[in-house]
Amino acid sequence: MFKIETLMVLIPGLPLLSAIITAALGKWLLRSRSHWPAVLAVGGACLLSVLLLFQVRREAAALHEAGDAQAAAHAVGYEKTYTVWTWAVVSRALPARATFGQQASETSHSADPPGTTVPEDSSTSADARSLEIGITLRADPLTAVMLVTVTLISLLVVIYSIGYMHDDVGYWRFFTYVSLFVFSMTMLVSASNFALLYVFWEAVGLCSYLLIGFWFTRPAAAAAGMKAFLVNRVGDFGFALGLFLLWTTYGTLNFHDTAAAPGILGQTLLADPSQYAGGWVATAICLLLLLGACGKSAQFPLHVWLPDAMEGPTPVSALIHAATMVTAGVYMVTRCTPLYLVSADAQQVVLLVGMITALLAAAIALTQTDLKRVLAYSTISQLGYMFIGLGVGTLPGIVAGMFHLFTHAFFKALLFLGAGSVMHAMGGVIDMRRFGGLRRRMPVTHWTFLIGALALAAVAPFAGFWSKDAIVAAISQRVQDDHHGASVALYQWVFWGSLFTAGLTAFYTFRAFFLTFYGEEQIPEEAGHHAHESPPVMTWPLIVLAAASVFVGWCFQRGQRFDHFLMQTPSLAFSSAQATLPAGEHGGHGNVAVVSTLVALIGIGLAAYLYLGDRWEVAWIARRLRWLYTISYRRFFIDPIYMALFVWPLRGLAAFSYWLDRQCIDRLVDWVGRVPLAIGASVRALQSGLLPFYAMAMVFGLLVLIGILVR
Amino acid sequence: MNVNLILATTAVPLLAALAIWLLPGATGTADRRARWIALAGSVLALLLAVAATVRHDRLVALHDGDFSAVYGQGLRWLAADDSSGIDIRFSLGLDGLSLWLFDLTALLMITAVLVSWEAIRDRAAAFYALLMLLESGLFGVFMARDIVLFYIFFEFTLIPLFFLIGIWGHEKRQYAAVKFFLYTFAGSVLTFLGLLALVVWNYFHAGNGVLTFSIPDLQAGLAAQPVDMKVPLLNVDLGLLIFLALFAGFAIKVPLFPLHTWLPLAHVEAPTAGSVVLAGVLLKIGTYGFLRFSLPMLPEASAQCMPWILGLSVAGIVYGALVALAQGDIKRLIAYSSVSHLGFCMIGLFAFNRAAVEGGTLQMINHGLSTGGLFALVGMLYERYHTREIRQLGGLATRTPWLAAMMVVFALSSLGLPGLNGFAGEFLLLLGMFQRAWTAAPPEWEMLFKTLAILSVFGVVLGAWYLLWMVRRVFFGPLVEPEQHGQTIRDLSLREIAALAPLVVVMFWIGLFPNFFLARIAPQSDPIADRVAEVIERRLPQAEVSTATATRSLDTRIAIIRSAGQTVLGESQDVFLLENEARRDH
Repeated sequence: MFKIETLMVLIPGLPLLSAIITAALGKWLLRSRSHWPAVLAVGGACLLSVLLLFQVRREAAALHEAGDAQAAAHAVGYEKTYTVWTWAVVSRALPARATFGQQASETSHSADPPGTTVPEDSSTSADARSLEIGITLRADPLTAVMLVTVTLISLLVVIYSIGYMHDDVGYWRFFTYVSLFVFSMTMLVSASNFALLYVFWEAVGLCSYLLIGFWFTRPAAAAAGMKAFLVNRVGDFGFALGLFLLWTTYGTLNFHDTAAAPGILGQTLLADPSQYAGGWVATAICLLLLLGACGKSAQFPLHVWLPDAMEGPTPVSALIHAATMVTAGVYMVTRCTPLYLVSADAQQVVLLVGMITALLAAAIALTQTDLKRVLAYSTISQLGYMFIGLGVGTLPGIVAGMFHLFTHAFFKALLFLGAGSVMHAMGGVIDMRRFGGLRRRMPVTHWTFLIGALALAAVAPFAGFWSKDAIVAAISQRVQDDHHGASVALYQWVFWGSLFTAGLTAFYTFRAFFLTFYGEEQIPEEAGHHAHESPPVMTWPLIVLAAASVFVGWCFQRGQRFDHFLMQTPSLAFSSAQATLPAGEHGGHGNVAVVSTLVALIGIGLAAYLYLGDRWEVAWIARRLRWLYTISYRRFFIDPIYMALFVWPLRGLAAFSYWLDRQCIDRLVDWVGRVPLAIGASVRALQSGLLPFYAMAMVFGLLVLIGILVR
Repeated sequence: MNVNLILATTAVPLLAALAIWLLPGATGTADRRARWIALAGSVLALLLAVAATVRHDRLVALHDGDFSAVYGQGLRWLAADDSSGIDIRFSLGLDGLSLWLFDLTALLMITAVLVSWEAIRDRAAAFYALLMLLESGLFGVFMARDIVLFYIFFEFTLIPLFFLIGIWGHEKRQYAAVKFFLYTFAGSVLTFLGLLALVVWNYFHAGNGVLTFSIPDLQAGLAAQPVDMKVPLLNVDLGLLIFLALFAGFAIKVPLFPLHTWLPLAHVEAPTAGSVVLAGVLLKIGTYGFLRFSLPMLPEASAQCMPWILGLSVAGIVYGALVALAQGDIKRLIAYSSVSHLGFCMIGLFAFNRAAVEGGTLQMINHGLSTGGLFALVGMLYERYHTREIRQLGGLATRTPWLAAMMVVFALSSLGLPGLNGFAGEFLLLLGMFQRAWTAAPPEWEMLFKTLAILSVFGVVLGAWYLLWMVRRVFFGPLVEPEQHGQTIRDLSLREIAALAPLVVVMFWIGLFPNFFLARIAPQSDPIADRVAEVIERRLPQAEVSTATATRSLDTRIAIIRSAGQTVLGESQDVFLLENEARRDH
């Protein structure tokens, strides 16, 4: 029906069109109808994404069947690219000497016996490389999965926002920004070039900045927007350096092969993974890219912006800061799997970052009193989980990380929208100490939130269970495979750590759930007459998401559909990645599932015990463990530490530089400027205007001259 | 030939200036008429400039890049008989280096006229006449193809700006005007000596008895790299000395840290139109001078000075950003941000590879657009509140949403957000700088270059900080306004939007389709980059260039053996044998 290229362009194109229309007409013409372009465009994009997914699946399967002999030998996975226009070209930008072909041959020399140079090397190292950055889109299973996730959640959030934002003065502005975000995010996952990825990496950051600061008259919102942008910039600093290093190493920035050069994640290199640069270059590239991923995906040490980002409207928190944008880091690392597979060190760093983040954020979430912040820390923690999956370094781990991204998007969006529904009813109050026992007033929100909570806590048939279990199973597999490896202790610790985190997750999720919906009914005065269930336009998205949170797990896990589909992505289909698949079918899977379910139930039980009754034990525990409680409540003091370590010193340095500028550099200039004046002043006395003095000076001068001449 | 068209472009503002000056009328009516004449003049100049650009493009393609075919040889100026040998011509033309700067001047001048519309009431006729003169002068700088002509225009631009700052500026306008004039003039006198030295040096080496002042001829002659000689007494290379003389004027104009202190002062004191043109175009004369003279004509000296200039540029990037962070005055903040941004342009030029030089050249245009726009916006803010203190303002987005939106767009462009212009230039030049540091750094400078590359990327983070901080304080949060004296604050008028909108359009154009601009820069900038890169490679003691790969080990081994051999054996032949052995081993 549609050509795949048409779909690739239309999916981001529609939201862009909507953004332009809403921006141009929203204020004057559309006003309270401003949501229509967004709903239609995102809905259309969603439909087309699903079409694209099926198309990709069909073509990938066809590729598999038809060409077992020749196509399978040539093609690694399934991909298709389409260049809309060429953004920039610098011809012969990188001289031949430095291009990767030579490097690759150097590295392969050390491994292979001499004389087995890959034929491409000689041709590539002979020519200088041109820098070609195209607006190139791609379609492959990974992109298709991301597109469907992004557009589907976006559609539901946009519909929900019609109710949530209905009487806001910036109604049209909201839908402009959201459309712009959907455009940027779909472009981010479709980009087939590191530079383009970076472009939209920053573009989604911009949308996030605009939407966090949506209610810009509130100082906290304005500050949070700026903080998010700056922390992300620090991450992007790493990303940019990583990108430059990729350029100097591989002489291209494209994912795919082009006529000019084999792409970094293209068929040529994937067909022969030994061509990937190893050693410190590989590690440096991976770590720098990881820094970028940490910024966007709010991983420790760059996680500090996400909790503050909750100042934005709640639908935004659900869409951008829970389901889609923050998973960009996970997407990028997955996309760069071939690079990470070369460097075991970098993989372990990913693992550690994920583990630290998951644990830290879960520990903080235990004591927060702001419902949205609990969910924010839980998002950080779950993203940490995804990074653990990616850091395991085996294909099942990576796919499990992506699967968790997929399921998490549904249930976390559900939880946030549920929190938004509560907030809507409570007149903007989100502090859990000020409301409670809402289950009767808000039945739909209550039941859907319960489903979301069960999914997040990873209880058996719900979505979160399948994906989290897959991650834990991947770690345990790694422990088994590596049982005499050097770093087995690390994997062992991460295994227990992730189980413990699962327990914490179940606990804080249900703590929030019980605090909000159970106990004595309590409604803040801000709520006024609002304190009732939200309108259908808000509850229907909740119901759809709840249904998804029940089913997407086992639906896609069944027969490992998700895994098989995703593994046809070139980055995951190549030989080195496939080699990490365990030889036998998963062995200890069942045991792991039982253990992790047990842990989740313990967490839920504990939360029920503490928060369903009259809650006196809570205060008692908080008093007895005062310092632990304070550390958690104050979020490990990370914000003040950053202020003291980075912000204030830089501010001080700035003030000092300004002082230096005025008092030293500029003074010096003025002094130099006075030199001619000073010289003039010193010889001014000679120009006295007295003729006898001039005559005397003449005579004196003559005498000196004569003296010199006769000497 | 296209020369008539660009000549007409230059003549239009000149005629406008004359018209403003000479047409009779009472003071009031003449002032009101003056701004309309200025507007008409600048719009017409822009139209002509665009026409010239289109025609230039077509003709260059037609003549296969032969610029003398497009622009002719010019009129002889001095010593009309052919025997004298002195060849000074009234020779004009554009090429990839100057084309976009030429257009930028035309574009920004409309903004400059429109932002002065209400702000300048005192002696407005003289103001607009000077502004038009300035435009002509700037056109002249960019299209001069003769050194004498270039220098005349180069100095000529100082005079109108001196008066613009000195008469229509703010409190300390006279101090600022004098400082600006003396500082830049002092440097440019040395530059003139340097330019003359170039001419003479070329004369001795060309040996055809023609003392040519033609820039293309000089470039061709000096690029062949005459044998360098030591200057007696000083014992330095002549090329280096000339380079330093040129440097004096150009680096002050840029301004390169630590020669920048005239800039914040001049910007803060200048009227808005003065700031717009100063930041937008005048600073570019410095970078343009490097690109037009220093790099192509003195590649050896450029290569020699590269580490120093890169060091100063990066110091300027970080230092300018830090000082900007400490400012309470919006205009001074933006002035210091210029110091930082021009540092980016300079590392682009002095990283000496194609990506960087193209990026640096594009970044000149980008900075002109975004910083010119920011200064215009600050002027609009000042007109409304009569203050530029960040402390006294807040939450203005509710009062003046369009002004706020424009400020955000220009700030984002300035901090290099992808999709807008700043990113296109910054990305290329940082990539080029990185490439220089990682793949082609002279070994003794390798660590320095790597540090500089990383620091300059970090400068981008700082850039976001001070701009967003300013935006947040002034436009977001609860409304804070200084007391108004019965005057209502209005959002941007149609005139003000008209002043900014063209800039925004071009900003998006460059951001989305930079290749359109790069493709026209590259034919001139690439050979310059290649030439200096070649020199750098030749200057390296051994053929050792860091490659961060295994290839290095052989070279280092040879180097070690060589140095060891020289100390122990002291004989080159044995060293040679050892080297061969090492090669065989490898």
